[in-house]
Amino acid sequence: MQTIISSLNKIGKILQRAIGSLNTIGFSTPFIVFIILIACAPLYIKNQYMLRLLVVSLYYGILAMAFDFTGGFINAVNFGYAGFVGLGSYTSALLVVYTGINPWLGLIIAMGVTASVGFLTGLLTLPLRGIYVSLMSWFVGLTLMALASALVEVTRGARGLVVSPIDESATILTHLYILLTLMMVIYFILRLIINSHIGLAFKAIGQNYDAACASGVNPTKYKLFNFTLSCACAGLLGGYYAHFVGIVTPDVMDTGHTMEVMALSYIGGSGSLLGGVFAAFLLLPIFDSLKQLMEYRLIIYGMLLILVMIFYPVGLNGLYQKFLQFIKRKKETKL
Amino acid sequence: MDLAIIQDLLMTGFLRGGLYASMAVGLALVFGVMNICHFAHGEYYVLGAYCAYFAFVTLGLNPILSLLVASVLSFLAGAISEKLLFYPLRKRSKGEWIMNAFLLTAGLSVVLQNLFRVFFGMKYRGITQFWKTTFHVLGMSLPADRIIAFFIAMVAIAALWLFLKKTRIGRAIRAVSQDENGAKLVGINLDRIQTLTFALGSMLAGLGGASMLSLSPAYPYAGNKPLISSWFVVTIVGLGNVPGAIVGGFIVGIFESVSFFFLGSGWQDVASLTLLILLLLFKPTGLFGTQIKSVWE
Amino acid sequence: MLEIENLQAGYDRLQVLWDVSMHIREGEFVALIGANGAGKTTTLRAIAGLLTPQGGCVRFLGENITGYPAHRICQAGISFITEELNLFQAMSVEENLLLGAYLCRNQNLIKTNLDKVFSFFPILAERRKQLAGTLSGGERRMLALGRGLMSNPRLLVVDEPSLGLAPIIVLTVFKTLQELHAQGVTLLLVEQNVTNTLQITDRAYLLERGKITLAASSKELLENEYLKETYLGKR
Ligand SMILES: Nc1ncnc2c1ncn2[C@@H]1O[C@H](COP(=O)(O)OP(=O)(O)OP(=O)(O)O)[C@@H](O)[C@H]1O
Ligand SMILES: [Mg+2]
Repeated sequence: MQTIISSLNKIGKILQRAIGSLNTIGFSTPFIVFIILIACAPLYIKNQYMLRLLVVSLYYGILAMAFDFTGGFINAVNFGYAGFVGLGSYTSALLVVYTGINPWLGLIIAMGVTASVGFLTGLLTLPLRGIYVSLMSWFVGLTLMALASALVEVTRGARGLVVSPIDESATILTHLYILLTLMMVIYFILRLIINSHIGLAFKAIGQNYDAACASGVNPTKYKLFNFTLSCACAGLLGGYYAHFVGIVTPDVMDTGHTMEVMALSYIGGSGSLLGGVFAAFLLLPIFDSLKQLMEYRLIIYGMLLILVMIFYPVGLNGLYQKFLQFIKRKKETKL
Repeated sequence: MDLAIIQDLLMTGFLRGGLYASMAVGLALVFGVMNICHFAHGEYYVLGAYCAYFAFVTLGLNPILSLLVASVLSFLAGAISEKLLFYPLRKRSKGEWIMNAFLLTAGLSVVLQNLFRVFFGMKYRGITQFWKTTFHVLGMSLPADRIIAFFIAMVAIAALWLFLKKTRIGRAIRAVSQDENGAKLVGINLDRIQTLTFALGSMLAGLGGASMLSLSPAYPYAGNKPLISSWFVVTIVGLGNVPGAIVGGFIVGIFESVSFFFLGSGWQDVASLTLLILLLLFKPTGLFGTQIKSVWE
Repeated sequence: MLEIENLQAGYDRLQVLWDVSMHIREGEFVALIGANGAGKTTTLRAIAGLLTPQGGCVRFLGENITGYPAHRICQAGISFITEELNLFQAMSVEENLLLGAYLCRNQNLIKTNLDKVFSFFPILAERRKQLAGTLSGGERRMLALGRGLMSNPRLLVVDEPSLGLAPIIVLTVFKTLQELHAQGVTLLLVEQNVTNTLQITDRAYLLERGKITLAASSKELLENEYLKETYLGKR
């Protein structure tokens, strides 16, 4: 008996230390719980459709996270985000369809291509500020969409390009775990950057551009880096999603999709990275369970975005922080 | 190449440019006075088109009255949305107004587009013509609607210009765009001026949509194209540059009709956007960008 | 005419003014003096409604105007000429002046006021059509003063009118203020130029680190030992 308790104690301590060290790299306790819940989902969700919904929510959540990396930190909203996602989709899809390479290789190339276009867009918007970056990236996104529609011989235009799955044997669970891993990896990298001195520079640029320049931060370099990385994520995910869904149309690059991702990221709380993920898991299932809401989906997204912007700019993340403070105060009064 | 074709292309582009000019003037006005990058401008264009359609077809009003109804309603819609959305945002937002307001208009655009879809369905609501005549200009016969839509745009711009230059309220609008604190200190009620400005911008868009009804039918997403083109104009001439927006409107109109002729509809978009990107690359302050607003570096 | 009681004001979380109380009677010429950063401009901003006070009370002509928006305060009859002037740069001198009379609908009255301003500052009449942004520093100050007068204010509040002006122009500005006072305009003046200011004003308040530390007639203050040492630069 004694030994069992003591060994349980030991395990508890090890767990605590593990969580503590995970916390330090940005994996807060609720997030760990969330990851475990998703990872164990197949145990309690048997319905294929529900699992698919989880995959889609994950996909949107990661997009919102990568979007927030630019919008929430250097305060430059990439308004052509859907265009970059679509670029990733088309690159991978076209490569696989026309050259027959391995889809995984296609994904890597898609990521590279999107990152390069992102880099060029960043280069183009270098002399511009916040709002102009948004406009420029919007125009780039529109151009990409126009290209995809115009190159009918190659992309089959609006009829859509049929894409083979990433792996013939892939099931919905494979996708779930791949995306879950992707989310953790991307989050880990983004968080690592944010917590480093680069992240400080991002915040400096986002909050007060002139002051940042004056204090010796070279905004150009950081802006470019940020933009490129965020676009690389978009390309990777877009490529993956194309193989997952099995068809690509120019519609994926529509500004409406940017709006969805943007709404998620702002509802989640700008500058929180994870807020968008939670927002996706909160909203997507709601929309899906209420079929009649589907038609009003974009209206609700838009209204939520408006309401958040006006009345609660800190979003879900702000709620969470308030909750944490509340707990802390409770504890203090108890002591 | 045939001279007639060139003439035709220039004419089409010129007439279309009139619309872009009036839309872009609205955008420039709203940006100049309120510092809002108005992303929902196209939705007021669509609203105007719907109003004109229902007034003309359903109610059977005469063309002039229909256009009047459309402009009054889009004016009101602009005023209401300003009071409902931008006013509270202005009272609450701390710093970063430009970006927040832009995101707000983006949200508004999505909401309005989908509201149109829910209310009116994905149906094209167009008319063949308001006026049943054709005009002969330079040996070309053009439907009256085209010419009249162009004139309406020009008259609207001229009226706006006169209003801003010659009236007390117009002067107040310009004052707010130049120095907000100065404007407050001489007794100008900023809230009212902002509402009025937004309403005027919306009216310009609505009137544009209404007068173009026979050329491009009302449709939930009909605002996208004019929005993109008028943003195109505003970006190449520099934000908040009202006179530049007029010239830019014609340049873009003609460029679009020429590139459409040579490249076809799909590639025309690619061409205009590429041109824009190149322009910004080599002349990032805009074509006539001398009075650069503080958002430029 | 103007009564300020326990005014508290500041920016965001930074409080600048602590319990500032002062009053101005009809027809008086009052100065508010103090070192850089004492909070003089902040006081004036709070009076004019550019800044919402965090506490206290501002009454003007018996009406509680605390927290009113700036345009309402202008309507009530206070005209504030800021340090940075806030002119409409891309408009002509004339348009700037006309905007000064924005609240006035009586064309005849506007015309009279315009003539009055032009007689005060003849240079403005010469530069009528010139853009405000292209005027010289001195001309701009005059334009700002002129614009402030266009609304027939009951109380004229002026923040550092001598800032950046040549001594000879400073004299003109002071003369103008004196003349205005002689014509019955009530004035509240903030100035760094303490000696000159005390010579033309009736009373003065000394503001130090956001608190009123001295209040007396200008004559007395000119003789005040403390003031002599710290502000008048005499031993
Ligand atoms: N817009 C602002 N935001 C934050 N702090 C401000 C602002 N304006 C002034 N302050 C601070 O408030 C304090 C008082 O400033 P204020 O301008 O009232 O001083 P002042 O007495 O007018 O000085 P000066 O004689 O130099 O004009 C200063 O410490 C200043 O830094
Ligand atoms: Mg001062």
